[in-house]
Amino acid sequence: MRSSASVSRSRTSRNRVVRNRVVVSTLACALVAGVTAGCGSSGGSSASSSGTIHILVYGDTGNTVEKQIVDTFNKTSKVKAVLDTIPGANYQQKLQTIINTPQAPDVFFNWGGGSIAPFVKAGLLMPLDSFIAADPQLKSDFLPSVFNTAVIDGKAYGVPMRGTQPVLLFDNKKVLADAGITPPATWDQLIADVQTLKAKGKTPIALGGGDQWPTLMWFEYLYDRVAGPGLFAKALGGDPSAWASADSQKALGMLKQLVDAGAFGSNFDSVKFTDGGSPALLAKGKAAFELMGSWEYATEKAANPDFTKNELGYSNFPTVSGGTGDPNDVVGNTNNFYSVLKNTKHPDAVAQFLKLMYSDEFVKAQLGIGNLPTTTNTQQFLSTSTDPAYDTFQYNLVKQAPSFQLSWDQAYPPAATTAMHQAVQQFMDGKMDAAAFIKAMQGLPTS
Amino acid sequence: MRHRPNYLAGFGSLIWLFLVGLPLYVMLTATLRTQSDYSTSGPLSFPTHLTLQNYLDDFSNGFGRDFLNTIVVTLSVVAIVLLVVPPLAYAIVRSRHRTMSTVFRIFLLGLAIPAQAVIVPMFYVISKAGLYDNLLGIILPTAAFCLPICTLILTGAMRDITPDLYEAMAVDGASPARVFRQLVVPLSKGGLSTIVVFAALQAWNGFLFPLVLTQSDSTRVITLGLFNFQTEHGVDVPALLSAVLLSMLPILVVYLFARRALVRGLMGVGGK
Amino acid sequence: MTSLTATLAAAVERRRAVRSGVGATRPGLAWAVPATLFFTLFAIVPLVLVAVLSFTGWNGIGSPQWTGLANWTALWHDPVMLKSLWLSALLTTLGVVVQTPISILLGVWAAGHQRNRAVLLAIYFVPLLLSATAVSVLWRALLDPNFGIPSEAGWLFGDGNLLGTQSGSIGVLAFVGAWQWTPLHTLIYQGGARAVPQVLYQAAAIDGAGTVRQFFHITLPQLRNTIITSMVLMVVGGLTTFDTVLILTQGGPGTDTTISAYYMYQQGFLSFDFGGASAIALVLVVIATLVSLVMVRLTGYDKMNSTAEGL
Repeated sequence: MRSSASVSRSRTSRNRVVRNRVVVSTLACALVAGVTAGCGSSGGSSASSSGTIHILVYGDTGNTVEKQIVDTFNKTSKVKAVLDTIPGANYQQKLQTIINTPQAPDVFFNWGGGSIAPFVKAGLLMPLDSFIAADPQLKSDFLPSVFNTAVIDGKAYGVPMRGTQPVLLFDNKKVLADAGITPPATWDQLIADVQTLKAKGKTPIALGGGDQWPTLMWFEYLYDRVAGPGLFAKALGGDPSAWASADSQKALGMLKQLVDAGAFGSNFDSVKFTDGGSPALLAKGKAAFELMGSWEYATEKAANPDFTKNELGYSNFPTVSGGTGDPNDVVGNTNNFYSVLKNTKHPDAVAQFLKLMYSDEFVKAQLGIGNLPTTTNTQQFLSTSTDPAYDTFQYNLVKQAPSFQLSWDQAYPPAATTAMHQAVQQFMDGKMDAAAFIKAMQGLPTS
Repeated sequence: MRHRPNYLAGFGSLIWLFLVGLPLYVMLTATLRTQSDYSTSGPLSFPTHLTLQNYLDDFSNGFGRDFLNTIVVTLSVVAIVLLVVPPLAYAIVRSRHRTMSTVFRIFLLGLAIPAQAVIVPMFYVISKAGLYDNLLGIILPTAAFCLPICTLILTGAMRDITPDLYEAMAVDGASPARVFRQLVVPLSKGGLSTIVVFAALQAWNGFLFPLVLTQSDSTRVITLGLFNFQTEHGVDVPALLSAVLLSMLPILVVYLFARRALVRGLMGVGGK
Repeated sequence: MTSLTATLAAAVERRRAVRSGVGATRPGLAWAVPATLFFTLFAIVPLVLVAVLSFTGWNGIGSPQWTGLANWTALWHDPVMLKSLWLSALLTTLGVVVQTPISILLGVWAAGHQRNRAVLLAIYFVPLLLSATAVSVLWRALLDPNFGIPSEAGWLFGDGNLLGTQSGSIGVLAFVGAWQWTPLHTLIYQGGARAVPQVLYQAAAIDGAGTVRQFFHITLPQLRNTIITSMVLMVVGGLTTFDTVLILTQGGPGTDTTISAYYMYQQGFLSFDFGGASAIALVLVVIATLVSLVMVRLTGYDKMNSTAEGL
């Protein structure tokens, strides 16, 4: 959940506009709230209130588009949609605490996979099969690898919204040029680059280890390159022996090699992505690379526009010789989804609302704020995006990827997140050896 | 006081001055400079050109509303505490009912119970009561957790009222209500101001209850606003630190205008 | 002699009079009802619920399921729980050990009346105006290894990996705690020191005792009660530390600063194991209650009848 939380953090500056609007109404509300119990929350959707559906989304700058889509919907619909937001950092935890209470929304934002599995298991979500039967485009208009992330036990539980967020290897072109290197195509080349950069007095790779989830990205890619997506799928499927396999050991060994080579410097656990630390290292030329989700671009653009324009490079994760994983595989946040609560009072209105997620208006608006939707009609609008080259690169990467591995911390149920993050951090800073790491991963709850 | 200057303590106080002063200096200067100036020239340098943009940004970010929410919460908590604690303390000090000693012991045991310990069921209770994401949902538990120490402070103050005064009123045949109104309340003003300060600070600085019991922007209090700001906009250290600075302004104002009362109140929290 | 007897007799007589009129002048139970009811509803009931929930499995989605002793057996074998208790104790102790000497020294010094002290004291006081949240946010930014103070003071901070090591992050937590709370304790000691009778110092001065001797032989013993009060506050503060850990370290690196209160929050609201979290919470409550009991005994707060009342 944290890794997607960062999405919001990256688009900080534009966020402010959204909040302004609420101020006035809140002033009145706050005054009254002191004396009466009235003034319910904006998140409180009383299911009984006639003629409204509550849409709950992750609160960040992307909300401008969600607001626009809700407005579009309300123009024609008798049942009105109400947009509620929860600030990003707390989204998943708040969602889980309200989902089975009267405050639960009708439709809510999520990451598919493990982020909704517990809700499906508890019978709270509505399978979207009947919606899709009535409108096949709800499925056919999205890239299959993306759509399938929200399919659980053969049933679709989510319609993609917002965009895809693959993890890319970002670099500082100037630092690379000064060191006389290019983005590494292979793992061995990366190790060699690390040595070259260290000799130049640079931190080869910026890592926001304090956030833990950026560290996890290295595990996700290496495991995929070494073993393909099967190993993780097996482990997630409930077979802990996968973690102890030779491939798993190999990936961990390679990671250890990278850390020991000083690739991340020595103080990475005090650095965070979320407070802008690691992106600044890259932008200020103190580091050469950073492995990060595609939102890195927006983060850098907000904080260091000149750097983003002239010196920010990006490439796919290097290949690993002898690995069985396809070099075209990507990992990251497959997409965001809207899922529907089973006890919504207005399923028909919800179905109409979801149809907007593949509309031209939606795609154009998302591209306009730097998101990359994964609808089949996205391609035709790519040229209108803020940076067509970057978006085209991503789109093709995702489209051609044989496998798009959802971030581990979102593939596993939320209950596993903390322990997983801690294990990853402790392996990286040397407090856990491979055996202890494997044991920790084997101990994670898979459902 | 002392006839000879205390060099050791004087030296120690200078070190402490540095430890307190340096962060305050960094905070103050950081809030007056741009983000890129801060990250390029470092936190210790003096800003080259000054800007107030950070403060404006904070306000357009909803800090004004956060203030208002916090003020509502603080005033309400103080009101509740002032409403229920004095009668309780009076009863504890003067009532000779056997149950009273049990009641007092219950409150005393509550002294060190951390609010964290009950946060899970508190969430349950508050959402069952329909108060989730409502300021009242913060106010009630916050006030409840102020009660033990406030009761302790106030009983301490009320015990210092000499028995002669009670007796004098008793001879006059005054009712408990009159004794309370005309004797107990006026004579325990010191204790009352202490519990006001204490309750206000608890409410003003409260973090866990808002963190767990509210979610939307409209119910956000300052502390939560700071926390959200840090997790969402941590990149922008100058704006973040201006938010920190803004968050202490109201208390600073109180401090400037009512320094003696505040200090005495805080001393009272410690000294009873 | 006779007049004294007469006074005593008169006093006894008056007390009898009062005692006979007890019903009229003493407040009844009703006076305690609102506060007690309120406290019961929002503190005692949740406390009982904690106990109940600790025997259930609950992920916040469905209803709590009875699981018997499962949470407790898991907790018993949980190395993190033990570690968290140890860390809580360590941080609390560190708080007392660091803050007590500093604040006694500063408080005694501040008890003087010179003008410059008033100015300095005004500055000392500033951290108290900040909430724990604000203080943590402030220090998180100041201690950033690349863009904070460590980046400009490499001779002191090395690579600035303060929050990446256990000793570093515990040090940071203890330091930030001291930074925030020392002013309060300084204030308490200042009050205590001013209350020390001047005669004692004058007598000592005549005996030729120097400043240091005066401090150890008069000031410290006279501050005994103040020291207890201040330490009690520190212990309570240490046990209830939460904001600082959440913002500065998130219990990390790994579980190296996961104190019990934070561990409870993590299990409940991050890992959605509310049953397990309740078990941890109950352990916290038991410890807190024991601490309370010791405190109450130590300070004599529980004496129902003060010496002043003397009935």
